Amino acid sequence: MSHILDLFEKILPRSAADQTELLCETEEFYLTRFAESLIHQNIGRTDHTIWCRAVIGRKIGIAKTNVLNEEAIGKLIETAAGICHEQRDDPDFQSLVSSPKAPKTEGFVRATAKYTPLDRAQAVKTMATIAGKDKLKVSGMLQTSQTGLAVANSLGTRQEGQVTEIRVSLSASDDSGRAGFAQAFSRDADNVDLTEIAHRAVAKAQRLTNPIALESGNYTVILEPDAVADFLLFLGFLGFGGKGMVSGRSFMANKIGAKIMGDNITIGEDPFHPAIKYMSFDYEGVPRRKVMLVENGIAQGVVYDSYYAAQKEAQSTGNALPPDNKFGPYPKAMVMEPGTKSLDDIIASTEAGILITHFWYLNFVNPMLTTVTGTTRDGTFLIENGKPSAPVIDMRVNQSMLEAFNNAEVLSGERRLVPKYGVLMYVPAMKVHNFRLDKAE
Amino acid sequence: MAIDKAKKAGASYAEYRQVQIQSEYLSYADGHPDEVTNGLDEGFGIRVIAKGSWGFCGSAEINEDEIGRAANKAVDIAKASALLQAKPVVLAPVKPSFGQYVSFIEKSPFEISLKEKLDFLAHLDELMSRNTGISSRFGFLEFRRVIENYFNSDGSAIYQMLYQSGVGVSATAARSHRDRATRSYPANEGAYENRGYELLQQVDFDNNIPTICEQAVALLDADPCPQKVCDVVLDGSHLSLVIHESIGHPLELDRVLGSERNFSGTSFATPDKLGKLQYASPIVNVVSDPTARYGLGSFGYDDEGVKAQPAYLIKDGILVNYLSSRETAAMIGTESTGAMRADGWGNIPLVRMTNTNLLPGKDTFEDLVAGIDDGLYLVNSSSWSIDDNRENFQFGCEIGWEIKGGKLGKMIKNPTYSSNTIAFWNSCDGIGNEPLWRLWGTPNCGKGQPGQNGRVGQGAAPARFRNVRIGV
Repeated sequence: MSHILDLFEKILPRSAADQTELLCETEEFYLTRFAESLIHQNIGRTDHTIWCRAVIGRKIGIAKTNVLNEEAIGKLIETAAGICHEQRDDPDFQSLVSSPKAPKTEGFVRATAKYTPLDRAQAVKTMATIAGKDKLKVSGMLQTSQTGLAVANSLGTRQEGQVTEIRVSLSASDDSGRAGFAQAFSRDADNVDLTEIAHRAVAKAQRLTNPIALESGNYTVILEPDAVADFLLFLGFLGFGGKGMVSGRSFMANKIGAKIMGDNITIGEDPFHPAIKYMSFDYEGVPRRKVMLVENGIAQGVVYDSYYAAQKEAQSTGNALPPDNKFGPYPKAMVMEPGTKSLDDIIASTEAGILITHFWYLNFVNPMLTTVTGTTRDGTFLIENGKPSAPVIDMRVNQSMLEAFNNAEVLSGERRLVPKYGVLMYVPAMKVHNFRLDKAE
Repeated sequence: MAIDKAKKAGASYAEYRQVQIQSEYLSYADGHPDEVTNGLDEGFGIRVIAKGSWGFCGSAEINEDEIGRAANKAVDIAKASALLQAKPVVLAPVKPSFGQYVSFIEKSPFEISLKEKLDFLAHLDELMSRNTGISSRFGFLEFRRVIENYFNSDGSAIYQMLYQSGVGVSATAARSHRDRATRSYPANEGAYENRGYELLQQVDFDNNIPTICEQAVALLDADPCPQKVCDVVLDGSHLSLVIHESIGHPLELDRVLGSERNFSGTSFATPDKLGKLQYASPIVNVVSDPTARYGLGSFGYDDEGVKAQPAYLIKDGILVNYLSSRETAAMIGTESTGAMRADGWGNIPLVRMTNTNLLPGKDTFEDLVAGIDDGLYLVNSSSWSIDDNRENFQFGCEIGWEIKGGKLGKMIKNPTYSSNTIAFWNSCDGIGNEPLWRLWGTPNCGKGQPGQNGRVGQGAAPARFRNVRIGV
């Protein structure tokens, strides 16, 4: 990425704006999708996006392009500055940020960058072969990518870094279409255990025959890590970002220092966690840092970019998104503290409950109450006398997420890294009482 | 050149798509500009069949060397795909297409000054600010021009230029940070059409903004939604989304055949039901129509070069066809309905909706309401969720009104309902007439991995449904 920083260095002085920021994200992206144990999509893509944020007084103009050369970036700066001349003042804007050099980004692994189309196809074949032994077919995707980020601004900020990632998502299904699900994420392609992923999905699929219907009601549920992450992701969008604190729409607004979850819930933003290794700076070039969000159930803080931090007289936590985002900052690397019991022990100690693999199509019903709806998916089981006794036809969820984290009785000792929409979450399983599930019509 | 390179590298079929997207987004919140962004995105993608399997490679660098590299890479990827292949890909035959298509526009939005656009948003903001009960105001404009050049090894050569425009507002009244109500206009996603700047003059903000502001304030004191089973009339602003989720997505033939099992899911509407399934009541007719004037899902040719064509999906309530591609159509022995669409240059096309239009019926709005003794009238979507087989769903709306004795009554806040696709559509016994019908745009339809954004439309008039569970 240093050649891009050099280019930015050369072009920045040409800007007529009071302050100017240039940002480039590069992408080498490869994806293999498969269904019925056959590959049906297989793609590669090379792209880069360059943003310019120009500031004149308190007027902000943003322009972006994916043409990466001196002439195009020079024009980009002119376009962004030109927007400023037509813009109105943004009274909440203070300044771009001058940031010290961020620590080296540790998430780049050569083995992942070198993964070939044949490697991906063979990986899928490995998983398909395991499932095939049990007369199951696999569907899913295997993605490898290499992402680079370079940021420079007229206040002296200069950052560059690269990360790699491999993602695997797998459904193993029988002729009825009922599927068991498993997924994995790593920076290092050599660290992904395809056999374990396949066996996890297969083990669920094998237990899905003759599902039973349960009536609507409040149940004790055991949420596997993927299901916990589904909720945590939405909590992150809804409440753990600075925009919601400024607008008052976050469930954290006016609650810092107050009890909002159970004593056993501690959640932090930790981009440097060894399982996560996020880019060490954000899209404004601000170094990322650890932020305690909830500690022993007590609200501690949220993540900020410079724009919303200035409005709350806080410091940016290095969570800025690209300047044309509509969401404001939110956590990208959430780590939840584990419990001590194993998931197997939690199941064994549950007299009656429902084990949920993950959720599908969650959406807000009442954001202020953190209520979401969605359905269970790909492995829902009735637990009786400490054992999964029968598969359950998927049920509709209507539940306040904060209430669920308040009703968490026990967390598992083991955690899993779950990727969702660019957010990484390292989370345990969670046993929750009074969880609302409705019989799907 | 790309086609030749790919063929030379071993492709039996190849296509080249070069796409340039110019975009502009402006928003205005609480009296000042929120964001003004100008964007340009361009690149090319080469999709091939080699050794009977698919491969694709795209790049943002448009030059001869890079096109040659991408062609070879696409073929390499296809050959790797062949490691897991049951039988070679077969494409339903189509005649090669030659032609061009340009959206129907009067004024290019990119020839209008930024000042004029910001003045327009400032005017909408000022209209909302006149109601002192409104605590939060938002308005936006979005414009895109998509230029696409397409060639394939069957001999197709196509040029398309699509203009897409969007505009909308939302007003929020709040008593506290938890006690708030939002109304948007004309729909929760605004108005989106394939047309130029003239779209802004087609939406009557001046007369409707005062109304939605009054409604947002009144919602704070409105009654909550009761829990019961009753009849409902769904406004087109909301029914559009129900059509999208419970008819459009389930009839995408790639998901029907299992391609999306791991992510978007499957569909109950399997090919054995084609021509037999009573999907809806006999008054329901649904057409996929990419030729509809101004539809956000309109185009001249799909991204496999198949000429745009209307196709009945549901006729007199019976499932009669799917949204399909050349490959999926061949799998069930039919012809492509021309629904392969890609998000930009860097993604492969998937089977997507075009304009999924519920054809108008015969009823006036008064007829629809008069036919209900106890029920609800629901407007604008606020929440949506449907299961991965597209059967059980739950929706929420911004606002509702009680219907008692065939007449609209008191306002209801946070109305919700749930149902099952087949039961719901078979309970439809009234559809609004042509004057009530409108083509709604959905600018953010998600599908695929990596997620692709689709721009689609749904035609709808208000319609009546019986025995729906509300207040869920």
